[in-house]
Amino acid sequence: MRPSTFEFTRFGLRARSGLAGALALALLAFLSAPGAAQNTGTVTGAVTDASTGAAMSAVQVYLVGTGLGALSAGNGRFIILNVPAGTYQVRAERIGYQADDQSVTVAAGQTATADFGMRAQALGLDEIVVTGTAGAKRRREIGNTVAQIDLSEVAEPVQSVDALLQGRVTGATILQSSGMAGGGAMIRLRGNVSVAMSNQPILYVDGVRVRSDGFAKNVPPVGYSGRSSNDIASPLNSINPADIERIEVIKGSAATTLYGTEAAAGVIQIFTKRGHTGQARWTAQVEQGFARELPFGPDLADGLPPSERGVDGEGMLASGARPEYMYINPWLRGNLPTCDEVSGNPGQPCDSGLFSDWGAWQQRYALSVAGGSETLRYFMSGSWEDDLGVLPNDVEEKFVVRGNFTFEPLTNLQLTWNTSYTNDAIRNTAAGNNAHGLTLNAYRRDANYLNDEAFDAINPFVRLGDGSEAQSITTDIDHLITGLTATYSPMSNWTNRLTVGYDLAQQDNRNLRPFGFIRAQSGILSDRRYRFSNLTLDYVGTLDFGLTDEVRSSFSWGGQSVTQVDESTTSYGDNFPGPGDPTVSAAGNTLGFEERQRLVTAGFFFQNVFDISNKYFITAGVRVDGNSAFGKDLGLQAYPKVSASWVLSDEDFWNPDNGQVKVRAAWGQSGRAPGAFDAVRTFDPVGWGGAPAFFPLNVGNSELGPERTTEWEAGFDAAFIDDRLAVELTYYNQTTTDALFNVRQIPSQGFLGSQLQNVGELKNSGVELGVNASILRRSDFGWDLGTTIYTNNSEVTDLPDEVPSFSLGNDGWVVEGQPVPVLQANCVDNPTALADPVVRQDCNYGPNLPTLTVGVNTTLHLPRGINLTARGEYQGGHYISNGAEGAALSRSVRFPSCFDSYRIIESQGEGALTALQRGRCVGRFFDGDYLIYPADFFKVRELTLYVPLPDDLFPGAASSSLTLSGRNIWRWVSDEWSVLDPEMGANDGFNTTVRGILEHVPVPSVWTAALRVTF
Amino acid sequence: MRTTINGVSALAIGCFLTVASACDFDVVNPGPVQEEFLVDEAAQPALVNGMGRALAEAQNWLGYTSAAVAREIHPSGSTGSFGISQEWQRGELAFDEVDTHWNTGQRARWLAENGIGIIRDAGEAQPGLLAKANLWAGYANRLLGEMMCEGVIDGGPRVAHTEYLNRAEANFSAAMAGGGTVAMAATAGRASVRAQLGNWSGAVSDAGSVPSTFSYLLPYYSTEGDAQRNRIQFASAAEPYKAHSSWNTWYQNYGRSTNNPAGDPRMPYLLTNQTGDAATLCCGQVDWWPQQKYPDSGADIELSSGAEMRLIEAEDMLNTGNWQGAMAKVNALRAAAGMAPETANSAAEAWGFYMREHGIETWLEGRRLPAFRRWSANGVDMTLRHPLEQVSPNGEQGDGSHLVQQDLCFPIAESELDTNINLR
Repeated sequence: MRPSTFEFTRFGLRARSGLAGALALALLAFLSAPGAAQNTGTVTGAVTDASTGAAMSAVQVYLVGTGLGALSAGNGRFIILNVPAGTYQVRAERIGYQADDQSVTVAAGQTATADFGMRAQALGLDEIVVTGTAGAKRRREIGNTVAQIDLSEVAEPVQSVDALLQGRVTGATILQSSGMAGGGAMIRLRGNVSVAMSNQPILYVDGVRVRSDGFAKNVPPVGYSGRSSNDIASPLNSINPADIERIEVIKGSAATTLYGTEAAAGVIQIFTKRGHTGQARWTAQVEQGFARELPFGPDLADGLPPSERGVDGEGMLASGARPEYMYINPWLRGNLPTCDEVSGNPGQPCDSGLFSDWGAWQQRYALSVAGGSETLRYFMSGSWEDDLGVLPNDVEEKFVVRGNFTFEPLTNLQLTWNTSYTNDAIRNTAAGNNAHGLTLNAYRRDANYLNDEAFDAINPFVRLGDGSEAQSITTDIDHLITGLTATYSPMSNWTNRLTVGYDLAQQDNRNLRPFGFIRAQSGILSDRRYRFSNLTLDYVGTLDFGLTDEVRSSFSWGGQSVTQVDESTTSYGDNFPGPGDPTVSAAGNTLGFEERQRLVTAGFFFQNVFDISNKYFITAGVRVDGNSAFGKDLGLQAYPKVSASWVLSDEDFWNPDNGQVKVRAAWGQSGRAPGAFDAVRTFDPVGWGGAPAFFPLNVGNSELGPERTTEWEAGFDAAFIDDRLAVELTYYNQTTTDALFNVRQIPSQGFLGSQLQNVGELKNSGVELGVNASILRRSDFGWDLGTTIYTNNSEVTDLPDEVPSFSLGNDGWVVEGQPVPVLQANCVDNPTALADPVVRQDCNYGPNLPTLTVGVNTTLHLPRGINLTARGEYQGGHYISNGAEGAALSRSVRFPSCFDSYRIIESQGEGALTALQRGRCVGRFFDGDYLIYPADFFKVRELTLYVPLPDDLFPGAASSSLTLSGRNIWRWVSDEWSVLDPEMGANDGFNTTVRGILEHVPVPSVWTAALRVTF
Repeated sequence: MRTTINGVSALAIGCFLTVASACDFDVVNPGPVQEEFLVDEAAQPALVNGMGRALAEAQNWLGYTSAAVAREIHPSGSTGSFGISQEWQRGELAFDEVDTHWNTGQRARWLAENGIGIIRDAGEAQPGLLAKANLWAGYANRLLGEMMCEGVIDGGPRVAHTEYLNRAEANFSAAMAGGGTVAMAATAGRASVRAQLGNWSGAVSDAGSVPSTFSYLLPYYSTEGDAQRNRIQFASAAEPYKAHSSWNTWYQNYGRSTNNPAGDPRMPYLLTNQTGDAATLCCGQVDWWPQQKYPDSGADIELSSGAEMRLIEAEDMLNTGNWQGAMAKVNALRAAAGMAPETANSAAEAWGFYMREHGIETWLEGRRLPAFRRWSANGVDMTLRHPLEQVSPNGEQGDGSHLVQQDLCFPIAESELDTNINLR
């Protein structure tokens, strides 16, 4: 039975009912799977890497022209059932490998065998890329770099998409801001292209625009904005990594032009798995692991100051708190003091010995099924995870379900409907720069807000006497992403693709300090509910035609609109009558808040690709955009682009033995739009004691428009030595003109905020180099080695006279001739002198984002298909202000960063300190400005052992494997570094232009064992 | 074999959807109010309320920090949120540390003056709105005139701080037309401004028409977040901040507390066995004895009072050598508070008692540092103040008041210097 047009229509109606539709589809899929038939046979075989002999999974094996096929399992084996008797061309394809064809003859009731030994293809010039170009294009046609992550190549059991991207995309800086459960990561592609607007790349999932900026921080609407865990979740992590087939990343305006006004910071597009023809294939995965912190305190190699030797002579306090963990370890899962150490503190958690406390337990379970028929293919999955964080109240529980369906009801029409629903329940500990939080009060020792460093004194910020949470910070996120794409080809050379997508995230932030809370005795509760949605309409048409025998043209046109609606309602209450589990209604004082905003970005584009002899390609295009923030009179913005690629190695003069080389160059523009009403003078209805009141809000600027980033990039992709050495080199140069700056207004004119203005100019330039080498290729043994090097040099090249240098917070400044942003503050002019500090004002320390990122990766291919992979990442050249240290030292806290200085003072006197040491650690000279440090670090991001298990281990299983993996398991920091971790962030999570450090805990190391079985 | 259909209609629908959506540029952002709506008469009460709230925020910042520098309170911890920075602990009001003080003060002034123009142009929607707007403008200008070393008006060039006082006098004069409590407050406000300007006859004349029982308060609210709270109270309410203390202030043995129940009820503070919320630069962790004049964060702050008027009259007498008359005024205030009279035997002693009484009556109202400034400018012997109100004897933080210096006014802030081209 094959679905008819009518059935499709019915499905379309039912699909809107969500899960019921998905289940109906699943049923439909099974029903439509080919049944056993007479006169059919089977094709089976194994797929291996030709060079190493290793089994290859996720290889698409299909009978050309029939729609029959299968995906190879973890042991490389595949089976295609119900193949009508006859002779077929069997093709095996996988990204990164040269397609391989074989001919087989199938006899009724018989099994034909086709084994494939696939050759790695370093360049993949004929692979299809869709991000950044209209329609799908072969890699050889594209003049810009497109980074691609093929998940089948990733051995590590990945916990999040952030972690997946980290260290795998040249030109990307991924920084997670804390070790909080559910926290997201800052992503920068080729640095900051804006100082006023978001630099987070925009995100697409299967062609559907998805919120890319972080979710809202969980904090009450009134009072200090840090009464929170002070980290935020990322929409990127709503995607289950196990559902992803591949990720494409384009990094600059030369590539992102067709995405228009909002794409200057780059585009990340995630493609989730799709079904394949053939019988259902089930995959089950179980992961168990734990997280624990590596030491993040001071280097104690030179010994402790005598006054800080503690109860054990090694710095430990009576609570078991240790300087290596900045005295917070009594609350850190995985780093608790031993029970012997805290035997005098009954009731305090402790590590009683082996297996009792390896760390924060993390568990994940996933199940997926893929299969289908010629007309209907499906991929469905579900996953559940329960991850404890290292902080005592931290836990993230997440489940994700997905249904991806592909229909081909007609030979020229394909419909894909991809839907995922995620429920992410995050519970956090109060942290960050929060006087009601654990971290701040632990770090500040006996000069904290309790004047007491004892466990029992601080613990009331975390737990009550009965063990329940002293304050509750819970964030529940429901995230639905659904998209329907119709691809219609009325003629063989004419393709139309229409996508309708909807991204809906609903977030419930509940933040409770209950009646009796140690620092808010009458209790405070806020409940903030957000609704973020993006509606995407996207049409692309492509017409291919030949101009001459040698020249072909591919003309594309299309339009896109993204309607973004952000709404929130908040209820707040304080002054509760008594204990209990309250609602806001029970509060003595209640307040309500509402915000809503709708923005529309829409535009159209044209693009033409000239293909000359299949080796010269010239692409030209333009995107014309409108954005509702531009105001009524500002019209449309045009963003042109042009690129070229030349497959040098296809020239007659090229000796094929020399490998393959593609030379490319691209130029293009894209932009960033200001926010709604930024152009208008507005007043803020603030209220005053319950009565209405207005405050000046926004000065307004009727001339406001988008900032425009122009980029050119050039480079080459090459493969040498029989594809054993692959090199990709790109130079990029971006200039942002009409840059949107938040220009401070003159206070005496009444408006205290900043006004967006199109002034100034920013530049970013650098090099991206990727080298991957197959050092050894032997049967049953191989060694791959790779490196990526990425540089980024940014500069504010122009600031008009009327706009002085201005601060972005966290000591970050926008200063002409300096990086974007530069850390600027007072410094000590005689740092090494044994003298009092000589202060120099407004020193430019350096950039805040890394200028050099180096990734190294290596894989050992061992006998029996065992792989051992290691990846490391260095980031350096940048500076971070350690605000946590500054806040402590300015309050005369005996902070571990000064232990060396205290030791010197206690043994030799203050005169033996250098001027910089005095400025940092001696109260009367102290200035927090001196706590800006070079933030260079290297981390072992991954160490993974992949072991295929014997086929007969699980009855009925096609393959199984065991993976043991460690993440962030070792770090190096520069000698000049202070305490805590240079990857940490401040109070705004990853949504920040200037990174600084406040009272968080670093991202922990995570150890995971994953068992994966395919049936 | 599957079939093929003509997809023109499907394509047309797709194109239509795309083009239609591309034309929909409607923006919804119902929160902020566009300026054009403020001309609506119905918006005038909210506009005037905004002036009051802006003044309250400015008073919060300037009153608190000036109290620290005048040593009406002693630092006991936090330097950040709700804290007293290290510079202020030392008594230094540096241009790069006072942005918020300058900014909130300027906003209060601009909003009130601009609002007066809007109400005038549109016509007064309710009787008394214009007078109230002028009253808020007068107090905002008084705050700036008393606190700022120099002035700037609406992005213009540098002017003398007296420009604000002159504007305040004009505003108060206009507000007196409103009658009732507003007029009385305006009269009292004008008296204080005239005193600061040195127009003692005018000041005494205004003061004389204000009864001793009069009090005009600036409202604060504890339910709507930090911006509307009484900052001085909240900064030392242990929720969680214990940023200042009565410890090592001149009144630690004078004000009313549990160990001094006979102390002056106008200066109540609480003795605790706790220390402040962090260590101070001068002294490490110090005792935390929070003020009790403002019992909660919704406590109002007095802007004008009859008592202040009597002080103006007393100061005028001291200026003219009638120190006995001044002491009578002082003792009348003390009697009203249930405190025993003081006896002065000389003009200098009378000045000393007067200065102390001024400190008592205006405690934590943001008036002490301006009084120091006025007395200093008028050549009054500043050593007649209590030693704990003065720079420490050796100019270091180790003893006495722990003040290294004592700036008497706020400079033009960096935020104005950086942005106002007329100041370069």
